[in-house]
Amino acid sequence: MSEKVNLNVNGIEIESDPNKLLIEACEDSGIHIPRFCWHKRLDPVGMCRMCLVEVETPRGKILVPSCTTEVGDEMVVDTESDVVKKAQEGVLEFLLINHPLDCPICDKAGECPLQDQTMAYGPGESRFVEEKRHFEKPINISEIILLDRERCILCARCTRFSDEISGDPLIEFIQRGNKTEVNTFPNEPFRSYFSGNTVQICPVGALTSTSYRFKARPWDLKSTRSTCNGCSMGCSIELNSSQNKMLRILGVDNDAVNQGWICDKGRYNFEYLNSDSRLKNPLKKMDNEFVEIEIQDVYSELSEVIKDKQTKVNFLLGSNLTNEDYVAFREFSEIISQSEKSFYLNDDLLFKGFFGDNIELAKIDDLNSSDAIVVWAEDLKEKIPVLYLRIRQAVKNGVKLVVFGHTNETLSDIADVYYGKETVSENFEIVKDVSKLKEIKDLVIGKNITAILGKATPYQSDESVTKLFEFLNLNTNSKVLNAYSKGNTYGAFKTLENVKGLNDFVNDISKESTDLLFIVGADPVGRSVYSNQIKSIIKGLDIVVSLDNFNHETSEQANFVIPISSTLGEKEGTFTNIEFRTSRIDKLVPSPGQTVSDWEFITSLMNFAGLTVKTNSLEDLNTKAYENLEDSVSPVFDNLDKPSNLDGMVNVSKPKISSSVRTLIKTMFFTGEKLYGDSVTVRHSDSISLLGSKKYIEVSESLAEKYNLTSGKCTLIQDELEVTVSYEVSKSLPNDLIYVPKNRRDLNKFDFSREINIIPSQVKEALNVN
Amino acid sequence: MSWDDKLLKQAKKIIKLYPQKRSAIGPLLHLAQSKDGYISDDSIAVISELVGITEVQVKSVSTFYSMYKQEPTGKYLLSVCKSISCEINNSSEVINKVQEFTGLNNNETDEEKLFTFEAVECIGACGGAPAVQVNYETVEGVTSENAVNLCKWLKETKPEVVVADEMQENFGGIKSFDWAIQDSSGATSTAPGFQTLKTTKVKK
Ligand code: SF4
Ligand code: SF4
Ligand code: FES
Repeated sequence: MSEKVNLNVNGIEIESDPNKLLIEACEDSGIHIPRFCWHKRLDPVGMCRMCLVEVETPRGKILVPSCTTEVGDEMVVDTESDVVKKAQEGVLEFLLINHPLDCPICDKAGECPLQDQTMAYGPGESRFVEEKRHFEKPINISEIILLDRERCILCARCTRFSDEISGDPLIEFIQRGNKTEVNTFPNEPFRSYFSGNTVQICPVGALTSTSYRFKARPWDLKSTRSTCNGCSMGCSIELNSSQNKMLRILGVDNDAVNQGWICDKGRYNFEYLNSDSRLKNPLKKMDNEFVEIEIQDVYSELSEVIKDKQTKVNFLLGSNLTNEDYVAFREFSEIISQSEKSFYLNDDLLFKGFFGDNIELAKIDDLNSSDAIVVWAEDLKEKIPVLYLRIRQAVKNGVKLVVFGHTNETLSDIADVYYGKETVSENFEIVKDVSKLKEIKDLVIGKNITAILGKATPYQSDESVTKLFEFLNLNTNSKVLNAYSKGNTYGAFKTLENVKGLNDFVNDISKESTDLLFIVGADPVGRSVYSNQIKSIIKGLDIVVSLDNFNHETSEQANFVIPISSTLGEKEGTFTNIEFRTSRIDKLVPSPGQTVSDWEFITSLMNFAGLTVKTNSLEDLNTKAYENLEDSVSPVFDNLDKPSNLDGMVNVSKPKISSSVRTLIKTMFFTGEKLYGDSVTVRHSDSISLLGSKKYIEVSESLAEKYNLTSGKCTLIQDELEVTVSYEVSKSLPNDLIYVPKNRRDLNKFDFSREINIIPSQVKEALNVN
Repeated sequence: MSWDDKLLKQAKKIIKLYPQKRSAIGPLLHLAQSKDGYISDDSIAVISELVGITEVQVKSVSTFYSMYKQEPTGKYLLSVCKSISCEINNSSEVINKVQEFTGLNNNETDEEKLFTFEAVECIGACGGAPAVQVNYETVEGVTSENAVNLCKWLKETKPEVVVADEMQENFGGIKSFDWAIQDSSGATSTAPGFQTLKTTKVKK
């Protein structure tokens, strides 16, 4: 870091890093300058002029916008002079000229920078008697975002966000001068995975969300800080509720993780909490029908089963458990069984990953400080959306990007080198010798590399990505960010041993190996590539207990269904993200009916069965989770609640994944997951439910042409199964490949490693594709 | 794509002149204007595809500048200057008479799509005030009678190419400068006549 500069602000000497903006330097020293357009995560534009301050120059004092002026040594600044005050009053008077002042019906009122700053710095009265400009009151600019152009003060925060941060500039200023408005192109809605952030940063109530519109007043909201468990990024969030109902989620600026941004799924996939279809009472299957029973009866029936020392118990765990929940299941398995236990995670992409002793694991921030980023993974924009934003940010700052394979289409657009089909086959096999690839050698050899490595498809072998890893490990100074995308996977890694994936589940679990199966927060029948196999395995077992928020295709097969409280806002615990950063999950609202937490359920069951339980409370489990760590660095509640640790604590650990090695399965179908799928939670979150309901596939241009697909619809047929889907012809897919979003309804039912017939609608003869 | 091959070829040639594709938006919009007489959403989609930015970003640029018309224009765009020099030299009378003759308010187009009328800010001909433009071909020192005569002539002869020099000779008066260069080329559409855009032609 270069020398500091000294400046005098309002007669006080302050110090700042050079190249900082005046507004930021003042802020760091506790001097607040009002602003609308400036946002510390966006490039400055100087649109609003609210941040005018007086600076002494050789020509005397002049007014400058502090958000576009860099600090200088011995600069003398006045942020409170009469001239500044007059300027602020003037700016506000102008801003209010066309502002409708419909605060009484505005969602923003009460937390509105325009209201607040008008109170603090504005003129007492308006002199404007003319007609204000009018626009149609809110227009839908997407399915989930509304725009009231009358309220807009043209700060360009939303447009800059969509251009600079999320890279999907679908909103812009239209017209000029007094007529300027924010808008979309006709029939090209603001469909962005990150659109909710614009609502959050809009300094007025111009952008609102369908989800929160007219739901509450800010002063009635209760709030708490928590962690999103939607994917392995673990973004810091603030939960808002009113009258015991969760109403809103906001992004919190955690510098190391999400920097204030969250994806729209993380933001809106909470509405299911308030759904009437939530499970409220335990269900027991009798004569093929579920009947409601008391939770005590579940405990007594199941405790009889587990008291029998012969009972063989297995666990299939989802990724939305807290670390404490995982520990409770670990304790349970240790108490009841003599032999070593495996834990099956609900993940069809799970493989051993890269955690060996000689491997340095990367932090998210390493993306910014490395020379190049190398990506071989699932589509990160769909699966770990905010990590995708962090990669974009690094690239914007000049870090080079190398992308392997066709999964990361949007990243390949900004990549310096993209290795497509000639290098990585459509089935994600490396078909060339990595060490002979000239372009990557130039960018990475001897350099600092962050490698984001994971499986791109369930059918790919473990071998190819390993080849890439070995090349990087040998030739570069590389750190690895293992890209497991699902929720609290790293929490499971941290707390459980012998972790396996769904492929192992399919191989291992049978009537012989398992008498009692717990399926916790997982719907593998609904959305994994092993759907059919898992369904028949579960059907064949004696006792299956499903713990979840809703009934779903997997729980339908269970003998007992236990309603549980959601990790989002209904319970406390900890979560560990992709860089092994552990942070707090907090509770804000009560959960309905007889719901219990996963850990409560399993602990009560153990007690009921008369087992000696050492971890009877959440605190016990929390302590147990990190018992191998030194006190000072252990992310136990007491430590996490210290103000300095609110952003979480990083303890890198090397997980024990004992998933078996997989070999390539060649298929013409490439299965991935879209951000919005047909999961039970999205289905019951009204504002986004439709976004995940469309059944469609993407067909490469060559296939579309070859089979004369023109009608827009086709039918997939395999054995008894027939599903009609719409299709899109994709320019980015490699030839002869079909992309299937397997988290869309009915599409998961196919076995994509086998032949499937495709009949284009209106075209009679079937074509065989395998 | 709604642009024919000829236009697309021209567009690609223009794009090559710039180090970054998106810098070509300005001339490409003029090209779109010469094609349809306004910037259609179809053309915006084509340009967005050609230069690799989103449609709304192109729309943002095209609606910022008043020379990119958002509504179809007539065959002749009549722009009468209303800025200070022309105003002092009686441009309001010119405006009145032209409006009277064409029956058009500001920014209106007649039913036959012959004329679009607009009163505009300074067009850089203060020395020859009051000044008028037909499809951006400037005529200076135009009296209100001559302005009407100019309109009549356009209406009767409907020239394919309008040439500044020719109109100046027949309907103009005092000029800001005498360039002493004869230029017999003029505009062929309501986009300004530029050689690179091929929106200009020599009148035979
Ligand atoms: S909509 Fe909001 S964020 Fe966007 S320019 Fe207007 S005031 Fe700013
Ligand atoms: S990126 Fe992941 S952790 Fe962040 S908000 Fe979205 S789903 Fe939640
Ligand atoms: S905050 Fe500086 S001009 Fe808007």
